[in-house]
Amino acid sequence: MRKSPSSSRVTYIILRYMRRPIIVLITVYAASMLGWTLIPGLDAQGNPAYMSFFHAFYFLAYTVTTTGFGELPQIYTEAQRMWGIVSLYAGVIAWFYALGSIIRLVQNPEFQQSVAERRFAKVVARLREPFCIICGFGNTGALLTRGLTDEGLTVIVVDRNPERIKTLLLRDYRTPVAGLCADARLTEHMIEAGMLKPNCKSVVALTQDEEVNLKIAVTASLLNRDVSVMVQSTSETYEETLATLGDKVHIIDPFQTYAKYLTAVIENPAIHSLNQWLAGTPGATLDQRTYPPKGLWILCGFGRMGHWIRDSLESQGDATVVIEPNPSASDESLDGMIVGRAGQENLLKADIEHAVGIVAGTPSDTDNLSILLNARILNPNIFLLVRQNRFRNLEVFEAAQADFTMMPSLVSARRILFLLVAPLLKSFFETLHGPEFLARDGGLNAAVDALAKTVGGAQPRLWTLDTGADAGALRRVMRDGTAISLDDILRDPENRDRRLACLPLVVESGGDPVVMPASTTTVRLGDRILFCGTPRAVRLLEATLNNEYTLRYLISGVEAPRGYVMQWLTRKMAARPVRA
Amino acid sequence: MNLERVIFGFFIVLALTLNFGFVIGEIDNPDHHSTLELFFVIIVNLVATGLKLGDRSQIGAVLLATSLVADLQLIAAAITWAIAVHVSEVGMVPNVMATIVSLSSGALVANIISVTMLTGETLMMRR
Repeated sequence: MRKSPSSSRVTYIILRYMRRPIIVLITVYAASMLGWTLIPGLDAQGNPAYMSFFHAFYFLAYTVTTTGFGELPQIYTEAQRMWGIVSLYAGVIAWFYALGSIIRLVQNPEFQQSVAERRFAKVVARLREPFCIICGFGNTGALLTRGLTDEGLTVIVVDRNPERIKTLLLRDYRTPVAGLCADARLTEHMIEAGMLKPNCKSVVALTQDEEVNLKIAVTASLLNRDVSVMVQSTSETYEETLATLGDKVHIIDPFQTYAKYLTAVIENPAIHSLNQWLAGTPGATLDQRTYPPKGLWILCGFGRMGHWIRDSLESQGDATVVIEPNPSASDESLDGMIVGRAGQENLLKADIEHAVGIVAGTPSDTDNLSILLNARILNPNIFLLVRQNRFRNLEVFEAAQADFTMMPSLVSARRILFLLVAPLLKSFFETLHGPEFLARDGGLNAAVDALAKTVGGAQPRLWTLDTGADAGALRRVMRDGTAISLDDILRDPENRDRRLACLPLVVESGGDPVVMPASTTTVRLGDRILFCGTPRAVRLLEATLNNEYTLRYLISGVEAPRGYVMQWLTRKMAARPVRA
Repeated sequence: MNLERVIFGFFIVLALTLNFGFVIGEIDNPDHHSTLELFFVIIVNLVATGLKLGDRSQIGAVLLATSLVADLQLIAAAITWAIAVHVSEVGMVPNVMATIVSLSSGALVANIISVTMLTGETLMMRR
C-alpha cells in the first residue's frame, strides 16, 4: 500500500507554523544564558564568581516560565539584576509568541483537517475485516450504512459535507464506522479510505453529482480489480461509460429502480411485503397483502418515473389519466393529459370519483401529501400509492396511512444492500419477476407461502454459503464421495427427523442459478447457496456445516465413533460374522 | 444410546473418582494414601487419554489436552514416590507424601474440567 500523504502533511504544517517561534525562543534563551555566564557575580565570601551554563538555564527555567520559584543562591550584583530584568521580559514575550502560534496552529482548519485525515488513515490501516466504502452520506447513503452495519459489515464513509460526517459520528452503529470529510474525486482520498486494500470488498458511489460518481467508479475499477463497484447514475451518457468498466460495476439508477419496483408492486403486491420482510423492517410480516384494484388510475407527476408506471399500468389493461404541471413538449398532446397542479379542480377533471387508484409521485413531499388528502376527500375508497422523498417526513407519512408508501432512496439503498450482502438475491427476484415464473400463476405467491410456512415470524436472516470457501466440514465429507442433498444439511441437529426453519432460496452451481431448488438437490463443491431462515436456524446451520461429526450424523443417522480405539473396535465388530 | 459415549463417560468419570479417592485424607500422612490406588488412577487416566485420541472436533482437542495434563501430573507423582523410596533412600517421610498428594490434586482439577466439559457437550447436543 502507498504511504498516506496526510501524515507527512501534519508534520509539514507544524514545522511551517512553529519554525519562527522556535527560532525566536532559542535565540532569546541563548542570549540570556550567555549573558548570565559572562556577568560576574559575588560568592558568599565576596569573591567574584561566574555562573555555569547549567545554573543560567536553571535560573531561566523558573523565571521565564513565570513560575516564580525563588531559590536565591546568593545576593545578585546590580549588573546581574539588570540582566535579570532584560532576560525575564524577553523570555516571557518569546514564550507568549510561541504559545500564540501553537493556538493559531490548532485552530487552523487545514491543520485540523490533516489531523482528522491522519487519524482516519490509521483507523483504515488497522482494519483487518472486510469493509465497504460509501461515498456520499445522503438519504440513500445513511440507510445503506444502517443496513450494512446491521449485517455486521464495517463501513467507511467519505463525504464532502462536514455536517454529514458530524451526524455520522453522532450515530450509534453495531460495527465501527469511520467517516472522512473529503472530496471523493481526489484519488488520494479514496486511497486513504482504503480502496487499494485487499479486504475492501466494495465501493459505493452515491453522491449527488453524476460526474463525481463516474470518477469514483472509474478510479476504483481501474486501481483495484477485485473490488465491486456500485454506482448511482441517472444519466444515460454516463451509464454508457460505466457499462464499459466490466461486470464488477453495477449501475443503480434510483428512478428506474423505484419505477420498476413500483410496477412490480402494482402487478403483485406480495413482492413488497417480501422485500420489507427480507430487509428486516420492524413489523413487516409475510401475510400483509393488499391488491391494487383494476380500473382507472390517476398519475400525479409525470417525469421519467411516471412514464414507467404509466406503461406498466396500460400494459395490464388499466386506463390512466396524468396530471402534471410542467409536461415536456412531446407529452403535452398525450391522451388523458391534464396540465396543471393536482388540486381538487384538476382531480375532479380527471374523474376521481370513478377512479380506482391514484399515484402521488411528485418530487415534493408537500404536494404528495396534499394530493393524498384531497383524493381521500373526493373519493374515500380510492387506492392510495404515495411517494415519500425525504426520510425525515416519516412520521407525517405514517400518519397519512396510504395503502402504499414508498421512498425512492430506501428502494435504492435496499437494492444495493441486497447486492452487497446477498448477491444471489438478484437472480431470485429476477426469476420471480421473469415471464416464465409469472406465467405459472402464483409463482411468487408460492415462494412467499413457502417462506411464511418454513421461516415465518419477523426479521429473518439471509446467509450465503460458499461451499468453496467456508464450511470446512462440508468439504471434507464431500471429498469422501458422500452425496449431500439440501435436505440433509437442513435437518435439525437436535432431532434428525425435523427440519430447521430455513429455506434455500437460490443454488448457484457453475454460474447457473436455480431459484427455489427442490430439497433433493445435491450440493456440489463450489456451489453458492442463499439461505433465508430464522437467526437461530441460520446459526445452527453454520455450526452443522463446520462440525464434521454432526454433519455425518445428520446425513447417515448414525453417530460415528470419534476416537481411534473406538473406530478400530467398530470395524472389528462389523467384520465379525453375525451369529445366527 | 451410543456405546462410545458409555465407554468414554465411564473411563473419564472413573479417573475422576479414583483420583479423588487417592487425594482425600491428611496431606502428609502415608497411611491415608494407598499406592495401589495411585497405580489404578494412572492406568485409568492413560486409557481415557487413549480413547480421546482421534477426535477432530474442537471439544475433543480440549478434552485431550486436559487428559494429558492429568497424566503428566500423576506420572510426576509416581516418579517422586519411586525416587523417595528406592533411589535417594529418604523414605516415605511426610514431606514427600505432601508433594505426591499435591501433584495428584492438580490432576484432580484437570479431571474435574474433563467431566464438566463432557457434561456440557452432552447437554448441548440435546438428542
